Amino acid sequence: MIIYLMKRLGLAAIVVMAVLLLLFSMLHMIPGNPAILALGTRATPEAIAEYTARMHLDEPVLTQFVYFLGSALQGDLGQDVFSNRAVVDIIGERIGFSLALICTGMGWAVLLGVPLGCLAAVRPGSWVDRVTGVFSVGMIAVPSFLVSIWALLLFSLELRWLPAIGAGEPGDFADQLSHLVLPAFAIGLGWVGYLARMVRASMLEVMGEPYIRSARAFGLTPRRVVLGYALRVAILPTITLIGMGFGGLISSAVFAEIIFARPGVGKMIFDAVSDRNFPIVQGGVLVATGFYILVVLMSDLLIAWLDPRVRSSL
Amino acid sequence: MTLTNTTRRTFLTSAAALGAAGFFPGGVGMLRAQEGQVLNLRLDGDNSILDPGYMVGGTEIEAQKQCLPFLAEYVRDGDTFSWQPTAYVTRLEYVDDTHIEFELAPGLVWSGGHGTLKASDVAYSYARMKDSEWSGYFDALETVEVTGELTGTLVLNKPFAPFIMVTLCHGPGAIVCEAATEAAGGRFTTEFPAVCGPYTYSATPGQRAVFEKNPEWTGPAPGFDRVVCHVITEVQAAELAYEAGEIDCTELGPDSLARYSNEMPEGTAITTAGQLQYMWMGMNTQHPKLQDIRVRQAIQHAVDVDSILAGAFAGTSAKSHGIVCPGLLGARSDHGYSYDPAKARELMAESGVTGLELTLRTLNWQERLLTAQIIQANLAAIGITVNILPMESGPFWEMGMEEAGDTWQDLELWIMRFATVPDPYEATQWFVGDQVGVWNWERWTSEEFDSLYDQGLSETDTAKREAIYVRMQEIMDETGAYVWINHEPETYAHSTDIEVVAAPSGELNYHRFKPV
Repeated sequence: MIIYLMKRLGLAAIVVMAVLLLLFSMLHMIPGNPAILALGTRATPEAIAEYTARMHLDEPVLTQFVYFLGSALQGDLGQDVFSNRAVVDIIGERIGFSLALICTGMGWAVLLGVPLGCLAAVRPGSWVDRVTGVFSVGMIAVPSFLVSIWALLLFSLELRWLPAIGAGEPGDFADQLSHLVLPAFAIGLGWVGYLARMVRASMLEVMGEPYIRSARAFGLTPRRVVLGYALRVAILPTITLIGMGFGGLISSAVFAEIIFARPGVGKMIFDAVSDRNFPIVQGGVLVATGFYILVVLMSDLLIAWLDPRVRSSL
Repeated sequence: MTLTNTTRRTFLTSAAALGAAGFFPGGVGMLRAQEGQVLNLRLDGDNSILDPGYMVGGTEIEAQKQCLPFLAEYVRDGDTFSWQPTAYVTRLEYVDDTHIEFELAPGLVWSGGHGTLKASDVAYSYARMKDSEWSGYFDALETVEVTGELTGTLVLNKPFAPFIMVTLCHGPGAIVCEAATEAAGGRFTTEFPAVCGPYTYSATPGQRAVFEKNPEWTGPAPGFDRVVCHVITEVQAAELAYEAGEIDCTELGPDSLARYSNEMPEGTAITTAGQLQYMWMGMNTQHPKLQDIRVRQAIQHAVDVDSILAGAFAGTSAKSHGIVCPGLLGARSDHGYSYDPAKARELMAESGVTGLELTLRTLNWQERLLTAQIIQANLAAIGITVNILPMESGPFWEMGMEEAGDTWQDLELWIMRFATVPDPYEATQWFVGDQVGVWNWERWTSEEFDSLYDQGLSETDTAKREAIYVRMQEIMDETGAYVWINHEPETYAHSTDIEVVAAPSGELNYHRFKPV
């Protein structure tokens, strides 16, 4: 297990390095003087000279990459072009909002999707299965930004049950939670469908296995057979899907953050791209990549921990 | 590990808790402005640089106007704008063409124990502006002579008619506290080193900026105790927030303006700040396909601007006749060409050009794309094939700049919009000879135009000045490089419970808002 973990960490390091290289190249692939691109045409010669020196733009490209890599490894992702604030601080102010949104979105999708998939698999062909099937496909088919707008129009404008914009008053947990409901609903809805379909398919496969028949023959209750035996195995591919799903939710969160005017890393990157604020783009993409790699790694480790067959093959 | 945690009961309990917590505070933020004297507004992004010398502009100017002194402010007079002294001065007047005397109001104090507002702060502020990124606004200023603790004279290096309107009323005219700014290292970004105004300022990045009533302010009291500006980058999201009752005022896009105008929501009023934006379709006069002026003139005659105004802007914007916006000196009521497809075909035949294919570049915004599509259809009618190239704002705004790459060489047609200030000189400055390859992407030069530009800056006779700017626009017509499109208004939908005050260029001035 330790060797497996080391291998995975090594692979993650290579991916991070590749992302760093890609991000670094981004600045140099754009035509024109990077300092003018970043600071704008109104910038004074002194400001351009200061930026050039600060970003080491007057040095060879390889040297610049070494500086960039060294700084990034020390947790220094540079400074915001406009405010001169540390990118790490700016990301720190927003990442909590993004994590809350993504985790809540995936959380409620798991809480609803997995039971729905189980119910559908336990009674295949029943009305529950059919209704779940129709709704799952529907939920998958509707893009999250459309759900966001629909939810906003219905729950905020028409019914006025939930707030439309922002992340709530700092320090007011209930207010922050109420601001989280609609965006989390919007980004999670599609995943309810995905997970329900995935769990149903896995469960149907597992329910036909001989050991399930044996468990039933031993007189175990259907509940114990489903939850204690079938689901434990059927959930494994779903965990992989959930891990990868976080990647999809990062991009869905961008739309939700824009539509609901929530602070977050996705919206920060989106705004920074428009403003050509490259240090923010680089820092934000790096953090998003790191988060995704971490989640996938955790899901793989979880599967290894849950499934003795995977563990023994390591 | 077992999976019994994910039971139906657990799920139902968790979902119910989440749902209850979410629904419990329903109605949060849905109170209109007058309750608790809190005004909820929209901010289209974080204020990154509050320093007037290095700001990006826009909402940063809004923040400065609440927290920093200005010598003059805009005042609306029907459809035109003029200026008036602010509450920070007891006197502000031209004593001759190059001298403006001022006297500050006594007893106005800077926050943080930095003493009172002094004439030396004005001198310090404007001296540093001359070395800043906004130095262009202070080209005409020679120096500020301090004649007393509260008095001084702004000395211009030449007569510059629009100095008060363009510089003192606008963001660059903000005065900073010398002692506090020096203590902060000479520059500042996201916090004011000291404020002297109706409000104090604080911000939570990505979320909101909050203006609280300044307890040390002895000038006229603002209409609201607290102004909360929520960061909402997209105007459509802000419109929804307004309709949900979470903000009291929002800018409107053309579609929404048309919708509101047709069916005004209950309790809503519309305020138009100004029409200080001018949009046109530009043509690169040096491009081989467009070097023949008859081709350019044919394009001028072929584009049906009335259809664009109706189809792309829902009839909400004024037809343009040049770069000088409605209400300003030199604004025209007609221009040197008209929509005449027959004349356009005639010119094309004269030029002998056939099978012409052009690329029209535009920002990928809804109205711009609709405009481009109408132009595409108009030009197809005279045998010109137009390929529309929608672009992101980054590459779009530098495509004509020589220092940003080689794209300027390939530019053929593009749809452009500039914003300006309430004086015609600002709009004309981008088309003088030395702006070729900077902002003059049409790439023409005219000695007469450049000479008139200089004359317009120093001419103080209103009638002569007007004639100068009319002639400058005629010269632009004659290049054949422009199809004037429209002047989009800066409009705000707001609760009828508040009175909205905005600068001509659209910046809101919160401290002049009043409950009705």
